[in-house]
Amino acid sequence: MTQIELRGVQKWFGAVQVIKDLNLTIADNEFIVLLGQSGCGKTTTLRAIAGLETIDEGDILIDGKKVQHLKCSDRDIAMVFQSFSLYPHMTVYENIAFPLRATRMAKADIDKAVREVAQVLRITDLLDRRPSALSGGDMQRVAIGRALVRRPKAMLMDEPIGALDAKLREEMRAEIKRLHVKQGSTTIYVTHDQIEAMSLADRIVIMHEGVLQQVGTPEEVYQRPTNLFVAQFVGSPVMNVADTTIRETGGEVAVAVGGTERGFPFPRELLSKLNGHAASDGIALGVRPEGVLVRLEPADGFLPVEAQLIEPLGSFDIVDLKVGKEVLRARTKSGFISGTGEKVFARIDPAQAHFFDKASGRSLGVSL
Amino acid sequence: MAAVQTSGERALNKIAIVAVLIITIIFLAPIYWIVSTSFKPRNLATTIPPTVVFTPEISPFVKLMTKRSQLREQPTPEEYAAAPWWERMVFDGGEKVVRDGRGDVQWSAYPSRFLNSLIVAVTSTVLAVGMGTFTAYGFSRFKVKGEGDLLFFILSTRMLPPVVVAIPMFLMYRMVGLTDTHVGLIILYTAFNLSFSVWLMKGFIDEIPKEYEEAALVDGYTRMQAFFKIVLPEAATGIAATAVFCFITAWNEYAFALMMTNRRAQTAPPFIPSQVGSGLPDWTVIAAGTFLFLLPVAFFTFLLRNHLLRGMSFGAIRK
Repeated sequence: MTQIELRGVQKWFGAVQVIKDLNLTIADNEFIVLLGQSGCGKTTTLRAIAGLETIDEGDILIDGKKVQHLKCSDRDIAMVFQSFSLYPHMTVYENIAFPLRATRMAKADIDKAVREVAQVLRITDLLDRRPSALSGGDMQRVAIGRALVRRPKAMLMDEPIGALDAKLREEMRAEIKRLHVKQGSTTIYVTHDQIEAMSLADRIVIMHEGVLQQVGTPEEVYQRPTNLFVAQFVGSPVMNVADTTIRETGGEVAVAVGGTERGFPFPRELLSKLNGHAASDGIALGVRPEGVLVRLEPADGFLPVEAQLIEPLGSFDIVDLKVGKEVLRARTKSGFISGTGEKVFARIDPAQAHFFDKASGRSLGVSL
Repeated sequence: MAAVQTSGERALNKIAIVAVLIITIIFLAPIYWIVSTSFKPRNLATTIPPTVVFTPEISPFVKLMTKRSQLREQPTPEEYAAAPWWERMVFDGGEKVVRDGRGDVQWSAYPSRFLNSLIVAVTSTVLAVGMGTFTAYGFSRFKVKGEGDLLFFILSTRMLPPVVVAIPMFLMYRMVGLTDTHVGLIILYTAFNLSFSVWLMKGFIDEIPKEYEEAALVDGYTRMQAFFKIVLPEAATGIAATAVFCFITAWNEYAFALMMTNRRAQTAPPFIPSQVGSGLPDWTVIAAGTFLFLLPVAFFTFLLRNHLLRGMSFGAIRK
């Protein structure tokens, strides 16, 4: 049982505040991913939990006990670094045994524990090698082994696979997931890669400029982003965001994008859900490419648009559609639109549309 | 470099090799001279032109190690026959070995001066490198207030030739009774080497990623343990290179050793030339003393040559 809690954590580097009033509760066995751009404070948060960084205000609690004044060696937490940080002058075996040697464990027990972990990570045949003789993936396995061997209260991982190439990254991602399912320990994982975050996390914590933006399951942050930053940070390709005006003519509600005369038809309940915001023009429409529906023939509710650019991505195409002055990116079957410049018809799926207050960036919480 | 060399490049290469050879010869010539002189009979040491072909003998080393006096009269055949082989060499050179009342051979001061050199150089090297490593670690890993100024201050102690402070140092040493003591020389040489050691070690420790220590901290070790278990082994190359440089400086130091010591703690450098003045200068004995004196540094440097190479090229390549 390991529960980690951050209460009102604040951290300054000189005049720059890198963590701003962070509150977060991490449940036992949970896999939490801290996601954000570089410099958003996610790594500092992780290092503060590990004890490598002091905090200026607030509390860090592990199992209900305040630990912010404890040295890292007293927090019983393991960490995997992006640079792997395997000790170059020790063999793989010694590297994995290193944390156990700090505990004055009996030699035979250390040996047993090291071999067990090596077996789980499939690195038994590498135990006598030096880190310099290992591939990137194996280095990371050893680093994870070194963290696991002590059976720590929690595992912290700082972009552990960021330094690997794309294919290996995918492989290790699956392996980390498999390990977590098997070993089940509270894990905090830092990354700037939203695909890693989506595929690994039980819950994602999105940070921006030291401020927590949203905490939620991968589905929640993808489908119900709380603000423009989250909406545009999570998901690839990026969500379309466009200035919009909402008009009501003759009982029909239309959402116009890019200053066009005709708007995309939306159900009437949009107005009531927007709750008065419709009148102002400080509203931005957000829609993911899969929420932009495309047809080759005219149909009810579809507006004529022009395909400006087609990016074939194998299993699907991303098409830039010119709508008035704006460009909306749509996701189509591959080869659906034959060439650029073609006139096609598009509409926005109201169920996949998001509305944001432009001034604050906050989602207006409309779901249709 | 191109896979195929043009004739111009080949010619340049040859010129470079010839140049290196010439420079090497120029550098090695004095060492050859010393080594060859230390094996020459006395009458061949000062011939003009220099004697190159001769039968090597070890009589200079025998003379170096013993106290001798001029022969007033030739030894009797019985005396000569009773003398051990090395003493006959001394007789052949027109001298005799001094013996005390009980007939025991009197040794020269050279072995004890040599030992003094070893004690002073090794101790001051260990101290300078040890303190330098700790200091460098502190500067490298922690935010030190006024770090730049402090480092500059440390460096500034090397900005004037040490001899400039010789007289005040001598007066102070005399006042506190440190003249002609091992401790005095050790303190002096440690102080000379410390700034160099701090700066060199800081460069090496800066290169060790601090994540290694952080990993050790998270793995349950204290900072001190992390320093000894992780930083020291990683810095071994730097420590070796720094130690060689400090050792050479302390081993070869002449001016202060000459001034501050005269008997008990005197090191070999001031002792070897002091023999020039007593009686007729015997250059073979001086060469023999110098040759033996060169050996420890040559041996030490040879042992650590790989580290040294890295030490020299250190910082030249950005990783």
